[in-house]
Amino acid sequence: MTSRQAGRRIGNIAAERSRARGKRGGVRQAARRRSEPPRPKEQRQLIQLVACGAMFVLLVAAKLLLPTHIERFGEKLSGAMGQNMDVQAVFSAVGQAFAGEKDVGGAVEEVYQAVFHPGEAGEALETSAPADPPPLQETGALDTLRQYRAVPLEDQQAEAAEGSADAPAEQGQVSSLAYVLYSDQNLPENVSLEQALLDFDYCTPVSGTLTSSFGYREHPVEGEERFHYGVDLAADAGTAIACFADGTVTAVGESSSYGKYCIVTHAGGYSTLYAHCSRITASSGTVVTEGQKIAEVGETGMATGPHLHFELHRDGTYLNPIYYVTAA
Amino acid sequence: MSRRPDQPVRVSAGFCLLAAWFGAVNGWSLLATVLTAAAIHELGHCAALRLLGARVTGIRVGVFGAVLETDSRALSYGGELLAVLAGPGANLLCALTLTALGGVRQAVPAGAHLALCAFNLLPVRPLDGGRALYLLAAWAAGPSAAERAARWIGNAAALALAAGLCYLMWRTGGSLWLLPPAMGLLYTATAAGKRTFL
Repeated sequence: MTSRQAGRRIGNIAAERSRARGKRGGVRQAARRRSEPPRPKEQRQLIQLVACGAMFVLLVAAKLLLPTHIERFGEKLSGAMGQNMDVQAVFSAVGQAFAGEKDVGGAVEEVYQAVFHPGEAGEALETSAPADPPPLQETGALDTLRQYRAVPLEDQQAEAAEGSADAPAEQGQVSSLAYVLYSDQNLPENVSLEQALLDFDYCTPVSGTLTSSFGYREHPVEGEERFHYGVDLAADAGTAIACFADGTVTAVGESSSYGKYCIVTHAGGYSTLYAHCSRITASSGTVVTEGQKIAEVGETGMATGPHLHFELHRDGTYLNPIYYVTAA
Repeated sequence: MSRRPDQPVRVSAGFCLLAAWFGAVNGWSLLATVLTAAAIHELGHCAALRLLGARVTGIRVGVFGAVLETDSRALSYGGELLAVLAGPGANLLCALTLTALGGVRQAVPAGAHLALCAFNLLPVRPLDGGRALYLLAAWAAGPSAAERAARWIGNAAALALAAGLCYLMWRTGGSLWLLPPAMGLLYTATAAGKRTFL
């Protein structure tokens, strides 16, 4: 809010001068008006009119000639206009810094966050805010979480209903000897804990931290105990995923649990699966070689962070890939 | 546009729309906070002017802020400087009081006062900071030198700020919220420059 007091020195001087000029030049101006070009005000109005007309004509022409460009521009513009700014958070950050509650760097960061990414840094910003905003944000976050929980469940059921060979059979029969040695829980069907000898060269698809290994684990999203059919290698989103061994890309797809995934079939009935990718760079049917980039790490599907979910199959049986990869 | 100087308080329709929009988007309590801070700012100016014996003849409230109309011809440079700085001073005082009394609980209103104070102290006329700069320079070196100094510093500051805001908008690829202040700064810089040529 600007505040100006009238009667500024310059203002006064200017006003007096122009008044004096008005008195002196009154007669002369009247005589001049007929012959000389339009006065500044009329000229300005004319320029404004021409500019507006030109803009209108240009926009109409652009709309007619380049409809897709205009549409894309419109989308971008509305996206930018739709972004709001959290004024309250800005004030709150400034006030807290002033009260010595926060250091200046933290406050600057919060102001930046509030102006450019409102709503993302939620709780920290709203600590001192009165009444309405915090509950709103909280419910928003809870809703997304609920949706997140709801979707994979349905998806799991759908996958089970499809009756595919790899559907987890939680109550599976007591079968292999290996299971007795490793766990007191039933091993699902089609899982083998043996270390097979691969008669081809292979490499680790992504050098990352092992965040989840093959076997039973508490599901990170749904909370209950589930069998994990592969290993999780955490790496930055966009990291190149190298193909495990020579082979052919036999499937590229997307599911709500795997996200974007692809399957590569190798010699001897082996195949590997790469899930949660941000994008798949190889297309189905392509012949790929060991170490060739086929996808990029992401967190699509049911994932709580960017990582590669890597599975190794032999004739429909799940093997533990940990014997063949080296985690960073 | 006809101006009626006999009306002491004039509020433009644009301002009402802006206030209504701000309230609808950011909440009415926040609007009240901001308006209170603005009112205290103007009251600071008014109080200083009264104290110095100048008459406040009216107030115009527009989209760009509030403008007091006064008869301050009688004021000295020092007096006018005091009146100009009284607005931001009142905001600063309020922020200090709020922080002292309420601590972090009053962070939002204190922040609003501080933001208003800081914004008004930008060395760009017609903001208080720009006018204070001019008055100081005029006091020290005379009005014509002060005029030049204030114009250069004001234009440079406005251009730098506008460029900075545009750069931020471009880098973050988002918020167009910085566009109005950037445009406003550019406009005031050019308008102030033009006016002084009269």
